[in-house]
This record gives sequence, C-alpha cells and structure tokens, in this order.
Amino acid sequence: MSNYRHKNRENVVLLSARNISKSFPGGVVALDRVSLDLYAGEILALVGENGSGKSTLVKILCGVYVPDSGEIYVREHEGLRRVTISSPVDAMIKGIVMVSQIPQLVDNLTIIENISLTLASLRIRGANFYSSLSKISKIMSEEFEKIGIKIDLNEKVYNLTYTQKQLVEILRAMIINARIILIDEALTYLPILEKKRFYQLLLNLRETGKSIVLVTHKIPEAMEISDRIAVLKTGRLVSVVNTREVTPEYIRTAMFGEERAKQVRYSRLESKSVYGEERIVVKELRVEDDYGREVVKGVDLVVRAGEIVGIAGITGNGQRELAEAIVGLRKVKSGEIYINSNSVNVKNAGIKDIRELGVGFIPDRLFEHGISLEEDIVENIAVSVARRDMIIPWSLIEKISSDLVSTFQVVTPSIKTPTKYLSGGNVLKVIVARELEAAKKALIACNPTRTLDEVSAMYVREKIKNKAVSENIAVLLISEDLDEILMISDTIYVMNTGKLYGPLTPETPREEIEKLMVM
Amino acid sequence: MRLIVVKRKTTFKYQAWIYTAMSLFLGILVYLIIMAFCGISPVNVLVNVAKSFISPNIVKDFLVLTAMGCALLISFRAALWNIGGEGQFYMAMIPGAIFTLIVFNPQYNPAPPPIVVILVALSGMFIGALWALLAALFKAYLKIDEVPVTLILNYIAYYTINYLVYGPLKGRYTYGYLRTDEIPGIYRLNIKLHVIPRGDTLQVFLQSMVAQLAYYIALLVLAILIYVFTWWFFKYCKIGLYIKIHGSNPGYLQAQGVNTKHITLLAMAISGAIIGLTGSTYLLSELGRIPYELERQTAGYGYLAVLVAWLSLLDYRMVPISAYIVSSLRNAGIALQAAGLGGAEQTFLLIGSILLTYSIIRFLVDYEVRIAWK
Repeated sequence: MSNYRHKNRENVVLLSARNISKSFPGGVVALDRVSLDLYAGEILALVGENGSGKSTLVKILCGVYVPDSGEIYVREHEGLRRVTISSPVDAMIKGIVMVSQIPQLVDNLTIIENISLTLASLRIRGANFYSSLSKISKIMSEEFEKIGIKIDLNEKVYNLTYTQKQLVEILRAMIINARIILIDEALTYLPILEKKRFYQLLLNLRETGKSIVLVTHKIPEAMEISDRIAVLKTGRLVSVVNTREVTPEYIRTAMFGEERAKQVRYSRLESKSVYGEERIVVKELRVEDDYGREVVKGVDLVVRAGEIVGIAGITGNGQRELAEAIVGLRKVKSGEIYINSNSVNVKNAGIKDIRELGVGFIPDRLFEHGISLEEDIVENIAVSVARRDMIIPWSLIEKISSDLVSTFQVVTPSIKTPTKYLSGGNVLKVIVARELEAAKKALIACNPTRTLDEVSAMYVREKIKNKAVSENIAVLLISEDLDEILMISDTIYVMNTGKLYGPLTPETPREEIEKLMVM
Repeated sequence: MRLIVVKRKTTFKYQAWIYTAMSLFLGILVYLIIMAFCGISPVNVLVNVAKSFISPNIVKDFLVLTAMGCALLISFRAALWNIGGEGQFYMAMIPGAIFTLIVFNPQYNPAPPPIVVILVALSGMFIGALWALLAALFKAYLKIDEVPVTLILNYIAYYTINYLVYGPLKGRYTYGYLRTDEIPGIYRLNIKLHVIPRGDTLQVFLQSMVAQLAYYIALLVLAILIYVFTWWFFKYCKIGLYIKIHGSNPGYLQAQGVNTKHITLLAMAISGAIIGLTGSTYLLSELGRIPYELERQTAGYGYLAVLVAWLSLLDYRMVPISAYIVSSLRNAGIALQAAGLGGAEQTFLLIGSILLTYSIIRFLVDYEVRIAWK
C-alpha cells in the first residue's frame, strides 16, 4: 500500500471529461461514454487491460485524438470551461502535458535546444523563435535548481540515459507551467531507486496543486503512488476508487474479471534440467549505435538450446544494439556472432540467412522493425510465413493468422483489419505470435511484454518458456522488466553502459541485480 | 468557437468512384464559370468537353495511359516516385527502330515478323527497365532521391534519341524531314478497317469505336495484359506484397530478412519494363517512326501517367477510370482549340480546375471540419 498517500486533496476539479466516446475505422470502439474528473493536487492512476482505452483517453486529453463525442472541461479563473483540445500544442497551452514511454525529444539537439523548441512554439515565458538560448538557459537553470537536479543543459539528448530523458520531459512540463501531467507508462520499468526519485518528484508536483494521471498496467505501481485508481475495461470506465480503500486483487478483478484475474501469478516457471548445444555464441562483440558511438563493448555470451538467457538493464545501455547485431540487422564493429552450433557466422550471413534458419526476433523498435501498420494482420504475417513462396498461399496464411489471433486473444474486428487500428498491446501480441511461430531454432526477444497487461504478459511468458522447454529453442530475453527476467530466465546478465555483468542465477537477490543496473 | 480538422474514421461505399465523378462535375463547372467570365459561351465549351468524353478519339490515349498508369503504380506503391516514365517510354523505342529499320530491314535482311515483334518488345522492356534501374541504383546504394534523377533521365533520353535520329538513325526516305524512316509495314501492329462510318449518331459512334479499337489492337491487348498482371502482382505475388510494405515500412521488411535495396531495384525495374513495353508497342502501333525533337511532338505520356497514378489514389482498380478522365480531358483541350474557343491554355485550365476540385473533395472525404469550443 502507498507510502505517499495524499492527506489533503482539495476537491477542486481541474479537468472533467464527460461522456467521451471514440471509435476507429473497422469498428474498433476504444472509448464508450467515459466520464472522469481529475482533481487539483491528486495522482490518478489509470489502469486497464490491453485495448481497454487507456492510451486513447490520455491521447484525447493531450490533443493527439479528437473524440467522436463528449465534452472536456478545464478549470480557468472563472471556473470550468468547455474546451476542444485539437493538438498537443493546444493541450500544452491549456496546461496539459504528456510524458510518454518513449521520450519525445530530438536526439540530435541539446537539452536546451529541445526545451527552447517547446517554449518558442508556445510563446510562453517570453520565448519565441528568436529568443537567445542563454535567456532560455537561465529560465531552465532556475527550475532545475528548484528541484535540486544537476544536468548539463548543453548535453546532446542522445548522450542522456533513459532516466535523464524522462527527467527532462518532466522538467519541460514544469517549465511550461503544466497543471496536468499525463504519464503514459513512462516510469514502469525504472529500477526501484530511480523510480523512487521520480515518485518524489511527482509528489512535490502534487503538493503544488498540479494533477498527475499515471497510465500503467502495473497494479503495484498504481497502488504505491496514486490517490485514486480509475479502471477501464473494453472502453468503459468500470470503477473509480480511492486507492487506500482497495486491495490489488480488487483492481485486478475489475480489470480482467474474476476468472482471468485468477490466472495471474508471479512464481518462477519451470526450467529444463539439461540444455542442448550452443545456439547463439557471441564473442568479444563491439557494436556502434546510430550516432557512431560504441554502445556494445566487448560482450561475450552463449545461449544453448532449451535455455533462456535474460539480460536485465535500464533501457539505452546497448541492449537494442546487441539484439540487432545478433540477428544481423546492425553492422558489427568487431567480434564474432555464431548461430546454430557455430555453423553460421552472422557477419558473413546477413539477416536473410539468419531468419531462414528459424530465428525469431521481437524487436525493441516495434513500429520500425516489428510491423507495417498500413497492412492488415494477414499481410504482416505473410511476410514471415511465405518467405520461400513466390505465390502467396493466402488461405494457409489466413488460417495461421486466425489461429494466432485466437491463441493470443488479439482484440481485433477481423484479421483483415489494418494493424494501425489495433491498440499498442494488441500490435505487440501480433508480433509476438508471429515471431514465436517463426522461431524454430532461437528467439531473440526484446521486451516481449512491454505494453501487455498482466494476464497477456503472463500468457506470453508461459509461451516463451514452453517454447524453450518443449521445442528446445534457445531464447535470448532482453527486458527492462526485472520481474520478467527473474520469472523465466535460466541465466541472467545485467547490461550497463555497453558491458555485460554476469552470469547470475535466478536465485541472485534482486537488490544485487538492481545495484548492477544503476552502478 | 473555432474550426478544427479531424480525420474521418468511416468511409462510404464506392467512395473513390463517387468523389472522382464529383470532382469531374465540379471541376468542369468551375471551368465553365471562368469561361463565362472571359466572355466565351459556356454552352459551346460544355458541348465540346462533353463530346470529348464520349469520343472514340480517346481510345489511344486511354490505352497508353492505362498501361503506363499501372506501371507507375507499381513503383509508387513502393514509395518510389518514378517521374521518368517519359524517358523510359522513349528510350524503349531505340531498339525497336534499330531492329526494324537496320538489323531486320525487309529490303536486305527480312525476318519473320512475329520474331522481330517479340524481339522489339523484349528489348523495349529491357531498355525501359534499365533506364529506370539507373535511378533505382542511385536511390538504393547512394540514397540519392529518385525524383530529380528520373526527371533528369527524361532529358537525357530526349537528347539521346535526338542525337540518334539526327545521326545514325536518320532516315533516307523522309521527304526532307528530319526523322527516322517509316517502320516497315510487315512489322506494324495495326488492323486498318476501311470503313466510312455512316448511319445515325450511335451507329457512327460504334463504327468509329470499332475502327479505333482495331487500329490500336496491340495497345488494347497490352493494356488488358498489364492490367491483369498488376492485379495478380499485388494480390498474389510475394514481390507485390513486399513492394506495398516497402512503401509503408521498409524497416519491417529489413527485419524480416528482405533486402530492401533489391526491392527498390525490382519495383523500379518492373515499372520501367512495363513502360518500355508500352513504348515499343506504341512505336509499332501508332508512331511508326521517331521524329526529331521528339519532346516537342509527342503527348508527354510519362507525365500524364503520373497524373493517372495519383488520381487513382494508388488503387489499381481506379487506374482505367483515371486514364479515361485524363485522356478525355486532354482530348477536350484539343477539341476546344480546334473549335476556336481558345489556345493550349484551355487544356491546362480545364485539367487544373478538375485537379483543384479533386484535391478539395479528396480532403473533405478524408477529413471533416468541425466547429469546436475554445
């Protein structure tokens, strides 16, 4: 239960959403007459299973989507006033800012240049496109000092850690005097120490009368920090409760229904006792990122058939580049990678041969490497399944697609619905389903449950574990979710600033692993 | 209160057909209003425009533009903007002229016409593909945008052909005109029906239409084959699917082990090959010889085909409709000039007003404008 519960929440409504409905082409109803009030000086957790409409609701509140019907009221001096939020800039002008899971910063620019862009486009605090950076720098330094954070404002964003980027986003919200901050899964996977720092920052903001909407699919997180919890289910608001008055089980049942809620468990899944031959062998691997910086620094790794090797770590420590190099998607600077008992050298083979060997790949950059949003589920699956056919066997692929959609409970009106109309979680389910199907020898999975709700995440973890145990697949699991790593990995490494630390056993104390993540 | 623009989530049935028809109607209306302001009788103008839409004279343009529209659709679906249809179309005529006028000239080295025609077609496809591939190579391996490259290649094609027509391919039996000799009759692909249309209007129309279709029988067969190929290619062929995905997310293809450079080359080569095939068929069917300063004397099919592909919204089902509209408009412009109702600017004005209404209607179909609260 929360250690931070707010005692004196004022009963002043800051934002009121009334009867908000939103649907997407193909008959996807994302929100159905949702009404929700947000009070000044509160932290409201918004929870729900995949496709429940959480993201759609916050995207409406921050101007990414316009609702089909319903009204939004925002408090102004004279009271609540009906508004239309037509764009994110419009939302910022009204004092509403979103901090998303993927930091919305321009990597090539410095911190100060990034924030200047926002200030100039909003024309607030005396800034415009002609303002000198030193003037803006002064404003920012003052804000940073207020909350006691030291950071070089002239640092390029690509040099920042994930945590620092999230900090910059929250500071940006403070600088533009946001009254309402929407946090969309942005803190979920930070290590506990870093998370506590953020929680403190949010509590400080709450004390100043600002309101925070925390979108999360982690019930413990919602229980720990929020004052109230709103539960969405299939586009409807099914429950709004004071956090101190409920238990995690109550929230879980509201989210999934009694039957499915019972399926959630966090115990370790059973492993194989003996592993097979070496399927993925990495020797002294060095890889550069998109900016030419060496981000994988001499990594050695072996994954055997039937084994799950988990790599824990905070996002942005070279995990993505490591995975992309192993699968042949990124150039190797030096070192060796062998797949399938040393028979294929990735440096010479290329991604086509690796994939044809039966290596599944759940990428970190889902929308860049994982799916084509303009195409439907069947077409996306056809690219993987019909690799060797010149004429596409559509009836076979439609059958496979239908099976995968029902097995993974993808919420979609049809397998012919363009994937751009699916929720983020359902898109991930399609990718995971397809790549598990493709994995005949090995699977490289980056955050395979990142946007999934508890029940779906549970199911995916079981599937991965099953695949390793019963089909003798070698699995390299890269995840920012330490619970997940501890639950299904047989061997654990921690990746920090491009280096691998380990091997560790699943019995290693959690604190020890976290220490390696943040050292 | 203020206005906001929101993307529509529902579409209506036959949307593409309806708004093409609406834009046509409104575009002509705008054009007539402008004409009326200029003191030209809208009735006269309307009659001439209307006649063009039901004229057998559009058959040739319609067939060529359908074939080339499908070709450009293939590269456009891959997000490769092949503006070089013009160059690929005309470059493909070079081997046609060489085979029929020099290598297999019936006067001193006759060959079975079907073999020569097949050779001309294949070589035309090859040259068309090669010309498009040049731009694709720059795009795939040097990341140089294909739009300026294909555009520049059009001019290189014009000058190359002009050089050849002025030099090695210069005709000897041209009555003093600067052009190649006429392609020998045995290699031509027309059926000339010697009929003089008579009877009532409908009979005259039908007889003229049959005569036109017979004369352009090769282009007719070609357009049908290319249209069927395009349908099959995008519906059943793996490369068609790859091309579609290349247009929306090439990164996904890469991660699936597909070489996107090869897809770039393939999409452009297939597009160029179809245009090349159309070019060589056009030479044997309609043109009959290559004139000097080709660019001043021909229809600019490469550019009109870009318009056709765009008007179809990159939907192959709409390509014949777009080709029909564009060829009718082009002929309407010519008819207006012939009727003394204005110069070439009439054509541009008419096409311009239809494109304007098309763009506005397309916007309104995709988006709705709502009144919003501050």
